[in-house]
Order: sequence, then structure tokens, then C-alpha cells
Amino acid sequence: MRRVASVHVIRFDQVTKTYPGTRRPALERVSADIAKGEFVFLVGASGSGKSTALRLILRETRPTSGRVHVAGKEINRMAGWKVPRLRRQIGTVFQDFRLLNTKTVAENVGFALQVIGKSRRDIARDVPATLELVGLEGKGDRFPDELSGGEQQRVAIARAFVNRPMILIADEPTGNLDPTTSAGIMNLLDRINATGTTVVMATHDASIVDQMRKRVIELVDGRVVRDEAQGAYDVQS
Amino acid sequence: MQLRYVFSELRQGLRRNLSMHIAVILTLFVSMTLVGLGVLLRQQSDIAVRYLGDELQVTAYLCRDRDPNPSCAGEATDAQKQQITDVIENNPEVKDYRFESRTEAFDKVKELYGDERRDSLLAAMSAEDMPESYWITLNDPNEYEGITSEVVGLDGVSQLRDLRDDLKPLYEWLGILQWGALGVAAFLVLAALLLVANTIRLAAMARRREIGIMRLVGASTLYIAIPFVMEVIVSAVIAVVLAGGALAAFMYFGVQERISESISFMPWIGMEDYTVALVVIAILAPVLTVIPTLALTGKYIKV
Repeated sequence: MRRVASVHVIRFDQVTKTYPGTRRPALERVSADIAKGEFVFLVGASGSGKSTALRLILRETRPTSGRVHVAGKEINRMAGWKVPRLRRQIGTVFQDFRLLNTKTVAENVGFALQVIGKSRRDIARDVPATLELVGLEGKGDRFPDELSGGEQQRVAIARAFVNRPMILIADEPTGNLDPTTSAGIMNLLDRINATGTTVVMATHDASIVDQMRKRVIELVDGRVVRDEAQGAYDVQS
Repeated sequence: MQLRYVFSELRQGLRRNLSMHIAVILTLFVSMTLVGLGVLLRQQSDIAVRYLGDELQVTAYLCRDRDPNPSCAGEATDAQKQQITDVIENNPEVKDYRFESRTEAFDKVKELYGDERRDSLLAAMSAEDMPESYWITLNDPNEYEGITSEVVGLDGVSQLRDLRDDLKPLYEWLGILQWGALGVAAFLVLAALLLVANTIRLAAMARRREIGIMRLVGASTLYIAIPFVMEVIVSAVIAVVLAGGALAAFMYFGVQERISESISFMPWIGMEDYTVALVVIAILAPVLTVIPTLALTGKYIKV
């Protein structure tokens, strides 16, 4: 496993990904470095390759060519049994929250620790602290369908962050939320970013990107067409 | 790994998929019973061969002291035995032969009569009362006249036993039953494996949200697979217990109470053979169910 400079927690090196059965690559010769503690927006139209990029970081799929480094490891050559360990360093949040409706809020968050073998004592300590961080103190015993969309997304963020990951991946986390609620979620992601966690967020939401003035990487048809610090949304296509 | 988690998942999984699990248990139960029967028949064949010789054998009993055969002049001497050995060894029809001593013969009788009857019936008997014998294996069961006529005429030979005609149908039946049981079992095992595969697929579907989250937060494949493996192991264990019960019933009502009473010229399978059959199915059933489960969970929950 080749080590890369540790300031880059994510590094794409000429990455091309072509899905089987398709001719046009989903990503084409994409190169980008994301440093520790950065907040990066990944913007672009549907089908521009944002989700593929996130899936590559999670090693849900492997590049057709090129190299992907995450947390100092070249992950396209990583053995399958090491993948769970990699994912413990990455928290993930989705547009559709993906909570377990049969479990309470606290159990949903605790589940992420439970299934990686954390002790009950650790869970009892970390879950309430994280719920407080995301602004859900006192709601641990509620069930997800008793909560608003914004609160559900906070549960999902708590679950992604409870293990204090190095990287937080957010795939359209505000896609199902109204603007006010979205602003609250962005505020939370910003605070998580301030703890030193690298945040990579794919989004369609122009106002959020314009407001936050963070680094923007824009994809069009699988290619990086723009990579600017403190960018705005204004998608080209 | 938290046992509580595993057991609550296990309970849920069994309840959710109850009808599938019952189907798995029933097919495994019947197939394991048949496998057990196959093993028992195999053991019975071994006992029969050891006791009666196989269908290629003829047995030459040597003269003993006070032999009922008038041509015997007392116990066969070493010189006579040497001569018999030479004749057997030089005969082209003979493939192989084995000498059975008095003690070995006596042990067989003891085995036939079992502990309780031996004491009364055999109290007055000892190994000295048994004849020595040669167990001659032929190259071809149909070519025996050369060796029989040669051996019968030798001094020291009391009588020649030729059980080929009696044994052939017995062994044929044992063979047919044994392979029949195993053959039917093979089909049922195949059905059981397909049911296991379907059960796992349903269980994986029912739990796909949990599994998706587990994968994302970095749960190991083994951790994700354990509830599935436990589910099928529980089914396999129940099936083995049922099959063990059915085989025990067969041993008791079939073999002990009936066959061994009505056909008493040779010993029948007993407790030890039952244990062997039980061990075979107790290993086979979990292995047969766990292997496809691991393979399939690997496929459905691939990281």
C-alpha cells in the first residue's frame, strides 16, 4: 500500500470509471486532491458523475483506470476484507436519510457503533454526546417517523459522525428539505467540518453553495470542468 | 461481538421466515434420516461380510477334536495345515485367503449371541470348541470347482461352506437399499440447499436496509453474515435432532424388536453403529447448510 502525503485525505489520480455495458465513462481522467479539514462541494447535473465519485471514495466500486487514495491508502488495490476498516473512517449521509424505523433515534445512532463491535459503555457515552452535538438532545427515545425531515437528517448525520470519522460524505443531504431546514443542516455540517473532519458534499442546491463559499468541484459528463476555492454554483451545462 | 444483538437478530429472522425454515427443517430431516439409514446399511453390510464372508468367499473348516465328520482323525495337525495353505496359495482361482483362529471364531459367536444370552448358552463353551478355518476369496465367484474339489479331499479339512448363493441376494439387497437411500437423500439434500438459498435471499431482502447501513459504517462481512448463519444452523440442528429420533425409532422398533429376532443367523447393527450414523448427519447437516449460506451472504452483502 503506497503512502501519499498525509495532508491529502482524498486523492483522485487520473481516475476513469466505465460501468460494464456502457460506452461513455461515468468519470473520465478525474484528478483532484482534497486536504484534511477541507469542505468541498461536488456539483453538476444528474448523471455528471458525482455519485460515482462518492462511490469510489467509499470503495463501493473500483476505478477502471487511475488511482484513488483515501486516508493515505490506495484503495483500488485494497483487499476486500480491509474495506470495512476503511469505511469506519468515513461517515455517509444520504438524501433519503436511510434510518431504521423499527429502532429509536438513539438505537439508530448506536447501531453504527454496535455493528463495528464497540462496547455498550462506549455506546452509552458517545450516542448522547453526538445527539447533543446535532441538536437532538432529549429525542433519543423517539422513533424516526415521529420526527420532521430535518430532524431525521440530523439523526443520519449523528449516525455518520458518532464514530468521529476522518471524512464525511454527504450525497444531496438537503435534497428533501425546505430551505430553512437545509440551512440548519448546512450549519451542522459546517460545525462538523470545524472539528477537523473533511466534508465532501454532492449537491444540486445552488443557493447553499453560493452562500457557503467553499471549494467547488464541478463535473460535466464525468470530467472536472472547474475546481475553485470559495466557488459559487453556476453550473455550466 | 454482542451476543444480545446476534440473538435478537436470530429470533427475528426465524420468526420472519418461519415457513421457509420449516420447509428447510423438513427436507433436511427426511434427507438426513435417509443418509443415516444409508450409513446404517453400510455398517450392516460390513458386519455381514465380517461374519459370513463376502459373496466371493468359500470357507474351509478344519477338523477339531471330536469332529462330527468321521473322516477327521482328530485335530488338524500343523503339517496338514501347511499342506492346505500350499494348495490354496498355488490355486489360480484363489485371489486371497485368511486364516481364522479358534479365538476369532469364538469372538464371533459371542458377538452373535450378545451379552445376555451368551452367559447361559455359552457357559460351557470355550474357544477350544471352535473349529479353525480358512476364508478363501475367489477371483471369480463362478470359478470355484477347482479349489473346492482340491480342498475337500485334503486331510484335516472337515467341511467346506459355500454361501455364495445365499449371500448374493442379501448383499444385493443391502446394496440396493443403501444406494437407494443415499440416492434419494442426494435429491432431497439438493432440495434443502435450494430452500436454504431461498431462505437466505428472503432474509437478505428483508434486512437489506440494515445490511446497507452495516456495510456503510464498516461492519465486517462476518458480522453481517452471522445472523444468517445462525438461522440456518438452528434449522440444521433441529433437523438433525428429528432425524436422530427417527433413526433411533428405526433401530429400536425395526432392528432390535423385529429383524434381529426373526433373522438371527448373524449379528445386527447396534448402538455403536447408530452413533456413527448420528455423527455423520450431525456433521453433514450443518456443513451442507452453512457453506451455501456463507457463499450466498457473500454474494448478497458483498462489500
